[in-house]
Amino acid sequence: MATATPLPDTIQDILGIGGFAGELLSMLLGAALVGTIMLTMTAFAGPWAKRKITAAFTDRISVNRIGPMGLGTIIVDAVRLLSKELIIPEGADRPAYDIAPVVLAGSALLAFAVIPMGNGIHLADPETGLVFVFAIASIASLGLLMGGYASNNKYSLLGGLRAVAQNIAYEIPLVVTAASVVLFTGSLQMSEIVAAQTVELVTIAGIRIPAWFAFVNPFAFVLFMIANLAEVGRNPFDTPEAPTEIVGGYQTEYSSVYFVLFYLGEFVHIFLGGAIIATLFLGGPAGPFLPGFVWFTIKIWAVFLFTQWCRSAVPRVRIDQIIEIGWKGLLVLSFANLLLTAVILGVLGL
Amino acid sequence: MSTYEERNVEPPTTESGDVDGDAIEALLGDHVLDREEHLNADAYVVRADAVQDVLQTLKDDAGFDHLSCVTAEEHEDRFESIYHLKQYDDPTNEVSIVVPTSREEPVSESAAPVFRTADWHEREAYDLVGVQYDDHPNLERILLPDTWQGHPLGLDYNQDKPQIVTFEENKNPLEDHARGGEDSDTMFLNIGPHHPATHGVLHVETVLDGEQVADVNPDIGYLHRCEEQMAQKGTYRYQIMPYPDRWDYGPGGIINEWAYARAAEDLADIEVPEYAQVIRTMGSEMCRIACHLLATATFALDLYGDFTAIFMYGMRDREIVQNLLEDLTGQRMMFNYLRLGGVVWDIPEPRDEYFENVRDFLDDLPAKLDEYHDLITENEIFQSRCVDTGYLDPEVAKNYGVTGPVARGSGIDYDLRRDDSYGYYDELEWDVVTEDGGDNFARLLVRMREIEQSARIIEQCVDLLEDWPEDERNIQANVPRTLKPEAGKETYRAVEGAKGELGIYIRADGTEKPGRFKIRSPAFSNLSALKEMSTGEYIPDLVATLGSLDVILGEVDR
Repeated sequence: MATATPLPDTIQDILGIGGFAGELLSMLLGAALVGTIMLTMTAFAGPWAKRKITAAFTDRISVNRIGPMGLGTIIVDAVRLLSKELIIPEGADRPAYDIAPVVLAGSALLAFAVIPMGNGIHLADPETGLVFVFAIASIASLGLLMGGYASNNKYSLLGGLRAVAQNIAYEIPLVVTAASVVLFTGSLQMSEIVAAQTVELVTIAGIRIPAWFAFVNPFAFVLFMIANLAEVGRNPFDTPEAPTEIVGGYQTEYSSVYFVLFYLGEFVHIFLGGAIIATLFLGGPAGPFLPGFVWFTIKIWAVFLFTQWCRSAVPRVRIDQIIEIGWKGLLVLSFANLLLTAVILGVLGL
Repeated sequence: MSTYEERNVEPPTTESGDVDGDAIEALLGDHVLDREEHLNADAYVVRADAVQDVLQTLKDDAGFDHLSCVTAEEHEDRFESIYHLKQYDDPTNEVSIVVPTSREEPVSESAAPVFRTADWHEREAYDLVGVQYDDHPNLERILLPDTWQGHPLGLDYNQDKPQIVTFEENKNPLEDHARGGEDSDTMFLNIGPHHPATHGVLHVETVLDGEQVADVNPDIGYLHRCEEQMAQKGTYRYQIMPYPDRWDYGPGGIINEWAYARAAEDLADIEVPEYAQVIRTMGSEMCRIACHLLATATFALDLYGDFTAIFMYGMRDREIVQNLLEDLTGQRMMFNYLRLGGVVWDIPEPRDEYFENVRDFLDDLPAKLDEYHDLITENEIFQSRCVDTGYLDPEVAKNYGVTGPVARGSGIDYDLRRDDSYGYYDELEWDVVTEDGGDNFARLLVRMREIEQSARIIEQCVDLLEDWPEDERNIQANVPRTLKPEAGKETYRAVEGAKGELGIYIRADGTEKPGRFKIRSPAFSNLSALKEMSTGEYIPDLVATLGSLDVILGEVDR
């Protein structure tokens, strides 16, 4: 399933333009394609799917007036949000205030460069792919902090501080848990990780179960799912926004386009979390019958659905509790998982 | 958890069980200048400089541990502050202390050192009527803006005079509030008046040390609509009844109306037919369920932070109660259903269908409450947020005049429906719910369990109403078209609102309108205890505590 040739090379082959210009053009085209895919998904998720899903959880109907099943809301909402006045608070720290939303949205999108999405949609496949993903994704914290302090608002400041405290507390368990997967594959390369999951684990009644790491190491999978919830800031860990406590956290003072960017960044971030989970634990784009890309999309939407479910059904923990769970609980458990995996692998001599 | 022990001081009583007025007079000795008869209790006129002495004596030696209400009013020749005292153990034991002061120099001693609840009540009296209180910790305006000129319920107040406030004066009313200096470790934060967690327009001035609350001060008055004055301008018979619906719009309308009806019926000596009392009882328990469902839903909203499942479920089920109330009264919120001497109309026809709808709702309710328990009270994250946060000690609660589910959550067994029974409650079988936790979780549990009890009451009422003989369905007593209670008649009567003791004080002045109409709002007193509950805790706990108090700002500000 892992693609041998990255997407830009495929495009270059099709275009048939050689040299540096052709390379550059095909790279841009490839990046535009991946970016468009992700932004389209976000457009569905933000104004429409999120509302529909939440409504289904809470006995409501939600958007249904514009277009079939209310799908027209996506366009209407885009126009609405973009045509709103951009209000910049007095005393905002200007460059930081403006850069923050871009940093947040950009960092999440950037990480998709190394995610194999199936059917050859894979921009680059560096040997340090996994490290790259985590490194890029954690830049988002910087965006949150910048937005938080630059808004010149106490609620934003509290939200920014919370976001950073939380991301640091949960990024370490996230990476350590991911490292336990790397122990199996012996490689940080995304295509290798996906390839390692195509082998057969067991065959039950003629159905071949692949060695997805969610089946091989379910404990790590659960840990990763939890840490990921905190990473994307959804219930029970949505303290950085916490509407009833600190209004909107770091995004309190953002309106219009900047708000859209923040909002979009958050959703792309959730999808990125889903993409990492799909790649590390759910066999990437692998799956029967349907094309790889469809499977990949289904998997990341499944993770998205999970975050929405938590949001509807689970209360929010307090900021001190969240830090406690992160440092005293998840961190210890993730290291235990890493050690145990290493010992087991060593004993089995894999 | 609770370290609360009953203090065994009982008020002196006569053989029939009433408070022994002579013994009280003897206890207070020289402080008593005169004695008056109010309809609810004896009143003792005391000197303005002996208030603390008198109240302390009554609290320590006669067991009057509940300062229910402070009413101030202006007469032609004097100001009066009336302290309505009760006993938490038995609220039928009442006594009033009347403190007259001259119009030239309306200064009287503050009761705040004895009863903390007097702090806010006296600020309100100062704000609206203009009585000054010596030794008061913070005698500022509470309902009106700091820059307001004059005291609107005073006799000299000129309503037509515009309130001209210069821009300079109004520039920043918070300028010298709790702001540390440049190098202070704390941060001053305004929560509200526009904030998702304030359940209306409440402004909470908080001082934060990091994420922890160092100090908190609720600033109220944003929803003040002059309800007392409007009631004073209306006639007893018809014009006052619509106003109570606007206090606790949870919707606790029928309970609020009953508070007025009880006081006015007491004043005008009206007997309400039993049939009407049963309908009133049923209606007000429906209101209580609606209020408690709303409280549970919004409390969950405060903890979840979004319009999540439990919030929507709460609203969905409240909608059913609202439909039942709409069928009964014709309105969803502003019922205006009670009349002095009864209710405005009978159960809607066809009666069977209405009773069937009520029974359907009651039958479905246990399963729904189970679902709530599954979703919230049995959720460990939820518990970790609520248990042991926002702790309110029972002694502190009494000192602040806390009543209702908040008091019962602190283990104070105080419910006026049973202790000072009215309507049809003492004929029915139900229990007063208490929890000893004193924390946010206990208050939530009290509300959820009270829903079950209210459902029990409604069920019995429906049984009674169904079998009521057709020729005895008398919904209203004969009440004269114009009511003019004798001048000088005074009474203070309370009912158990959804938030606690909702009391009305009325003084008749011989006309068809009240001379003074004072509302004792339960949420007002409950909210004043917020500081005790949340200092030292985190902001999320402050928000949760505020939610668990279940304040309706329409009732706090009136």
